Amino acid sequence: MEEMVVELDSGETSGTGSDQQVANAWESVTAGLVSPGCSQSDQDLLDSLALLGYHGLGRLLGVWLLETLQVRLSSSVVPEFWSGLKQPENEQEERDRASVLLTTFRTLLDRLEPFLSGLEKLGVWQEEGCGGLSGPGPRALQERAFTTIRALLLFSPPAVLQERVLEFYSRTFSVYMNQEGGEDGSEAPDGPDGGACPGCGVLVQRCWCQEALDQLQDFSLILSRLQLVEWVSSEAVTSILHRLIEQRMEQHCRGEYERSFLLEFQEWLERVLGWLGKVFASKRDGDAAITPAANVPSVQGSQPASSVLKQWRCHMHQFFCRIYVNMRIEELFSIIRDFPESKPAIEDLKFCLERTNQRQQLLTSLKSAFESRLLHPGVHTSDILTVYISAIKALRELDPSMVILQVACQPIRKYLRTREDTVRQIVAGLTGDAEACTDLASELSRGDPVTLEMQDSDDEGNDPEDWTPDPTDAMPDKLGSKRRSSDIISLLVSIYGSKDIFIDEYRAVLADRLLHQLNYNTAREIRNVELLKLRFGESHMHYCEVMLKDMADSRRINSHIREEESKLSEDERPPLALSAIVLSSEFWPTLKEEKLELPAGVCRAMEAYTRRYEKLKAMRTLSWKPHLGSVTLDVELEDRTLTNLTVSPIHAAIIMHFQEKSSWTLEELSLKLGVPKELVHRKLALWQQHGVLREEAAGRYSVLEMGSSREKVDRGVMLIDSDEERDSNTTTQSEQREEKLQLFWAYIQAMLTNLDSMTLERIHSMLRMFVATGPVVTEMDINELEAFLQRKVREHQLIVSTGVYRLPKTN
Amino acid sequence: MKVKIRQWSGVASWSWVANDENCGICRMPFNGCCPDCKVPGDDCPLVWGQCSHCFHMHCILKWLNSQQVQQQCPMCRQEWKFKE
Repeated sequence: MEEMVVELDSGETSGTGSDQQVANAWESVTAGLVSPGCSQSDQDLLDSLALLGYHGLGRLLGVWLLETLQVRLSSSVVPEFWSGLKQPENEQEERDRASVLLTTFRTLLDRLEPFLSGLEKLGVWQEEGCGGLSGPGPRALQERAFTTIRALLLFSPPAVLQERVLEFYSRTFSVYMNQEGGEDGSEAPDGPDGGACPGCGVLVQRCWCQEALDQLQDFSLILSRLQLVEWVSSEAVTSILHRLIEQRMEQHCRGEYERSFLLEFQEWLERVLGWLGKVFASKRDGDAAITPAANVPSVQGSQPASSVLKQWRCHMHQFFCRIYVNMRIEELFSIIRDFPESKPAIEDLKFCLERTNQRQQLLTSLKSAFESRLLHPGVHTSDILTVYISAIKALRELDPSMVILQVACQPIRKYLRTREDTVRQIVAGLTGDAEACTDLASELSRGDPVTLEMQDSDDEGNDPEDWTPDPTDAMPDKLGSKRRSSDIISLLVSIYGSKDIFIDEYRAVLADRLLHQLNYNTAREIRNVELLKLRFGESHMHYCEVMLKDMADSRRINSHIREEESKLSEDERPPLALSAIVLSSEFWPTLKEEKLELPAGVCRAMEAYTRRYEKLKAMRTLSWKPHLGSVTLDVELEDRTLTNLTVSPIHAAIIMHFQEKSSWTLEELSLKLGVPKELVHRKLALWQQHGVLREEAAGRYSVLEMGSSREKVDRGVMLIDSDEERDSNTTTQSEQREEKLQLFWAYIQAMLTNLDSMTLERIHSMLRMFVATGPVVTEMDINELEAFLQRKVREHQLIVSTGVYRLPKTN
Repeated sequence: MKVKIRQWSGVASWSWVANDENCGICRMPFNGCCPDCKVPGDDCPLVWGQCSHCFHMHCILKWLNSQQVQQQCPMCRQEWKFKE
């Protein structure tokens, strides 16, 4: 270098050929540009520059410099970089790998630094116009240099770079978080125990946490100097953040619904930002003045760094929300199942969902979760209802527009429609009978006077500013969001689209309850009916009111008749205390008709009661339903007495017959009672269980007067299954439908007689046409009709061939 | 063995002792009530005419009130007289 300068000087003073001078000036300037350490004075350089400018060579300087950079990069720097990075193939220590990474980058910087400062100098000259230079200035020149560097260096980077960077960042991250957050070294896989440093994961005495942090600082500076941060780090940082958030969420939030995680994560993310601040610290003035404060972006004041951080903060939030939503969507079914407890989770999810546009995903996943976990035959209807109710409650928190609720629960509603006992379960829930859906009863008694009709009232007059359009995934139905009810009871009732079914069912349930009651105590039923009246409207509950009134009337009639009886002399009194529930048959649901011959004494008592009733209410009479009601009785045996047994009339009738004769066969009893043998057999089980009767042999039963052998017997009969769960007195829905369909049989027969043969669809549409008056046909779907016709076919009352029904030829 | 019945609670339904099912005026069942009533039985009784036709009391009264000239049984067109 010295020599060159001398040469140049001599050239200038001696003034030999100008070519020589120009060459010297070129040498001097280029040397000055690429080797900043050289000792030339600025003045000399400027002179040479002026000479070059004079000869019109100034503009070539930039081109030359970039060209040289490019050649140097591709010939030596880049290969050296990659081989340096790959070199410690067999090194196992993470710490060494980190330092290799840093060294490689440091070498890279060292190699490139001369060019960068040269470019800067040239740029400054260009700006100042020294030696007639003009050009884009330092920034643009460097920009082009960096582009070249990036292009050559990272054109096809081997995976090793990404791996190393990722490893390095993960390590420094955990070190940083460990130092910042104390116990929160989420990265430490083996925990603080076992003598390992939670930060760097090696034994405490070999801890290199501080070293790692220093390395991070250097690394960040080098990258920012080379403007490679974005290219080298972004991907690694993104994947680290993604992984860490996921990991942390997996550890902390999965399965944990009773606590909100938003704030916690917010704080954590802020700490992570501190680390990011280190990664993206772009401090330009050397390694000298690095204070802790310099890592905080705002203090640093450098515009790009803080905006980069701002960007990362957004990214992180986005990550967080997305990961959180993903996880919660997966768990949504469980969240719904535990709803009132899982409210915080729902609120978090709501917050995040608003930011991630994953509603569609949520809907699909929730729907399929319902279908796979809830809607199959193994799940009890009341459980489905319970989940549905929770879902209503949870989803209306999640989405006040109710669209998610409406769409996601569609399968449930559809499925519930196919379950036979849905209505019964809902009604049982409403009346507080079902232990499973207790919510319904409380929901009902909350007594929102939101009757179903109320929703019709149009409140269009509301403030138009408040208008919130439906989300785009709303089902396009004619009911607007106004009508999308969130009321649990309305939703349940609307499963069938008509409240009549519910009211009929409620009537049946009410009838059951009233008939099983002995003491005319109807306070609770009255309350329920009043509450239901608020919901369904007065007119719909009219029948139920009459039923309740019947109960009150019956009590009055009973006490009246009792009074009359008490006036009679001892021997005129009826032999048994009979009270009655007198029904207005038109208002009660159809009661099951069963035949039962009661013992003569009971019949006489009933006749006497009827006579008194006829006297009390002119022109009215009673018809008894012998199988309904209940009997309280004592059974006195030789060595023991069973007192205060409450049984059904048929049980009472059976045991009373055993008074006359201590041994009966099944046939005899069946004949005597006018009841099928199977039923008698079933009913006998109760008395066997009580140890009163014993099956001796082949359908012969006798009284066990002596209880000595009772225990043995007890054990023997335990196995007899008694179906003493309360049989419903009212005909079930399907039976009623059956009856209604039976009505059509006459029509169908007539049609087939006239038209010879018809398809199923034709029969259905004809029925619709002819019998359009009642609500029955519109409710009857074609499948039901088909099932009905199939049964007729089995009973040989119809013939079907190739989808056409016809009547069988009458002989 | 002896069975002592303490209490027998039976169930029965009441009905009018009438020769028809439905009221000839409103076509509603006698055991129900006329369209204006809510509660059957005592609150919506039947009445018999001397022609032995019977109706809901409210129905026949409404009918009789609407007849300006002569009060006839709507079924048999005989003069309507309440059966004592």
